[in-house]
Amino acid sequence: MSTLLSMEDLTGGYGEADILRSVSLHVDDREIVVIVGPNGAGKSTAMKAVFGLLKVRGGRTVFDGDDITGWSPNKIVQRGICYVPQVDNIFREMSIQENLEMGAFLKKGDLSAAYDRVYELFPDLKERRRTLAGSLSGGQRQMVAMGRALMLDPKLLLLDEPTAGLSPRYMEQIFQISRDVRDTGVAILLVEQHAKQALAFADRGYVLAAGQNRHEGTGADLLANREIAEMFLGG
Amino acid sequence: MGFLELVNFYIIPGIVLGSIYALGAVGITLIFAILRYAHLAHGDLATLGAFVAFAVVTGIGVSPYAALPVAIVATALVAVGIDKVFYEHLRERPKIITVIASLGIALMVRAVVQVIWGVDSESYVRGISRPDVYFGLRIRDREIYTVLAMLALVGALYVFLSRSKWGKAMRAMSDNPNLALLSGIDNKTVIVLTWVIAGGLCAAAGVFLGINTELKSMMGWQMLLPMFAAAILGGVGRVEGAVLGGLIVGLAEELSVLILPSEYKAATAFVILLFMLLVRPTGILRGKVL
Amino acid sequence: MEFIGLVNYALFMGIFIAIYALLALGLNIQWGFAGLFNAGIAGFFAVGAYTSAIITSAAADGRIGGFELPFLVGWAGAMVAAGLIAWPIGKICLRFRSDYLAIATIGVAEIIRLVIKSEEALTNSARGITGLPRPFGDLPYVESQAAFLLLMIAILFVAYLLVERQFNSPWGRMMRAIRDNELAARAMGKDVEYRRLQAFIFGAALMGLGGALFAHFNRSITPEAIDPMVATFLVWIMLILGGAGNNRGAILGAAVVWIIWSVSEIATDQLPHEYAVKAKYIRLFLIGLLLQLVLRFRPEGLLPEPLRGDQGASRREPKSSARV
Repeated sequence: MSTLLSMEDLTGGYGEADILRSVSLHVDDREIVVIVGPNGAGKSTAMKAVFGLLKVRGGRTVFDGDDITGWSPNKIVQRGICYVPQVDNIFREMSIQENLEMGAFLKKGDLSAAYDRVYELFPDLKERRRTLAGSLSGGQRQMVAMGRALMLDPKLLLLDEPTAGLSPRYMEQIFQISRDVRDTGVAILLVEQHAKQALAFADRGYVLAAGQNRHEGTGADLLANREIAEMFLGG
Repeated sequence: MGFLELVNFYIIPGIVLGSIYALGAVGITLIFAILRYAHLAHGDLATLGAFVAFAVVTGIGVSPYAALPVAIVATALVAVGIDKVFYEHLRERPKIITVIASLGIALMVRAVVQVIWGVDSESYVRGISRPDVYFGLRIRDREIYTVLAMLALVGALYVFLSRSKWGKAMRAMSDNPNLALLSGIDNKTVIVLTWVIAGGLCAAAGVFLGINTELKSMMGWQMLLPMFAAAILGGVGRVEGAVLGGLIVGLAEELSVLILPSEYKAATAFVILLFMLLVRPTGILRGKVL
Repeated sequence: MEFIGLVNYALFMGIFIAIYALLALGLNIQWGFAGLFNAGIAGFFAVGAYTSAIITSAAADGRIGGFELPFLVGWAGAMVAAGLIAWPIGKICLRFRSDYLAIATIGVAEIIRLVIKSEEALTNSARGITGLPRPFGDLPYVESQAAFLLLMIAILFVAYLLVERQFNSPWGRMMRAIRDNELAARAMGKDVEYRRLQAFIFGAALMGLGGALFAHFNRSITPEAIDPMVATFLVWIMLILGGAGNNRGAILGAAVVWIIWSVSEIATDQLPHEYAVKAKYIRLFLIGLLLQLVLRFRPEGLLPEPLRGDQGASRREPKSSARV
């Protein structure tokens, strides 16, 4: 397996203060990688750094052979990384189908193959494709959000706390869908608040604290680590 | 007062006036929703459009309806130009700064009209037009054209927004600007489109106000409050809401004469505006609140 | 122009600058201080002018008022009346972003204009109210003008000190925090609304006082005395050019803009009549353009808002950063 994304010693923040301090991580092809850690650890910030939403003051990000440090989100999208924000990640006043269409805005030509692919992953959405996205339940909204991001056939999908505020049943469903997405050839980097469940489901994980790398390893290894269990996962 | 009288003297003029307000209110609601500020120069752009048509009417002697497309195109271009020269560089600053700028633009646009065409009242055609009577209803041709033109223009806009890629992009930008940008939607094109549409509709509002009443340098400024009241009444960001709001405000203004001295007709829109802000700021069709 | 004429002109101009400076201070409380957009300054000005006129003028047939009370009572009444008009508008609109207040204040000014034009029993409609008492009105002309100017400067000075003291009080610090950080403001909830309302009412009261002073200076007030749009706009450009948030800036801006405005009027009045009329609108265009230039190239104005300790590194205009 080859490395798809690697972040090397990245330092930066939104304003003057550095939120990330020399953070390194990588994602391989067809891999699900989760970032966990306590509140304020810089988890979401690390993800936004990949997507070019941060002022980077040190280090670099390489994606699929290109140094994408400092690229605009627009260019990064076209290069093959799509991002699903934690909140406000759908167009509420637009139908499901229109949400997907906006996701494929940069794509020229026929979209039917892309629609088919997304509707195959989310059959629930297909039947309701004329429904306004804002009228859906939390779990279905998350599916729309992921579907929108998948319309451009990304190689890497960034999910920012996809299960926040969802019931355990939906959480399991989102994880299952993520596996299905991975099986179609897309790597996933996600940030999770539900550390235990996420580490159990992911291939590998990183533990961040105070803007720095603390631990990394397979999900099982990290779950077995006592220090992690006590410090971040509440036992 | 009989039913026919009510219809002839209040309802029909109210619908005509309401259609004119609707044309302006649609642009206001789009700018409010996509660019996220109140555009105070909207009324004066309508004045400009009306006088551009006047120049065409007097210059080459065609009817104001033939001059309408010229006015629409010219005003749309002016609107895009104003945005490029004066508003664009304020984009990163708090939106309210652009509201201040637009107050200045209102004054500048009006000054241009006053310098070129003076401050006296003008009209497109001389003489009075007599209404035709259909089953007791007294309707002038120009009134029919006004309502039909409004329906056609807004209908075309509606189809554009719901069917075309760029129309949907405009709705996406209004719905969730951050996500629209993340999806790669080009904000600059959306903004240009918004100004083309708003400017063009503005011109139509001005021309039809001129056709149904007269042309004055203050005509647009005096429409500003009813147009905003209509946009907020219908729900900010809702095109169909702006039409509904425009019709209600127009009807309310005409009907207000039944209970208020006619001098206070213009106060009706203000009362509607405050009432909506008090009881339902999202408007009838649940729009945005800034 | 002979010397005495120049003196007279300077006195006249000084009085107008002082009155406009008062309006600009009022707007500074609202905009510079609390971030509130008032596009109906002329309305509050007119309410003040007419209120004081009704309170202090002699009785006349068919008109309410004519109480012949001292002008100080009239001025106090002007402030109260303008504040009272501001209260319900602020109450309704201050929950929303300032765009709504801008529209509503345009409406208020318009309705006040309609009332002035149509309510003969209150305002004597087009003829206006005349014969108002003028402080030092009994002195010879030049002395009277000079004394009036001194009085205006004294009033302006007192207003300046009071506003400045408020700016530096805990109240002022809180207002600036609210203005600069909408999120924090929302978190503070009801209390913020109340404080914004105070700022809006105080500002309106100063505008009302400005109107009253104007009416008594002219000894009369008529609907044509001021062009509402021009007056409102002049006050805005005064404040923005002078420096929003800075009281001295507001006063400086009033002086600079009024001098430009009235000197350019003298210049254009020399033109033949047909051009002189157009020139008025060209001047309006240029003053609108001036606003655009200031907003673009010197948004902080001539005298930027002083950093008052508590602001430290935080900036006057938070970037409306795209949150993702």
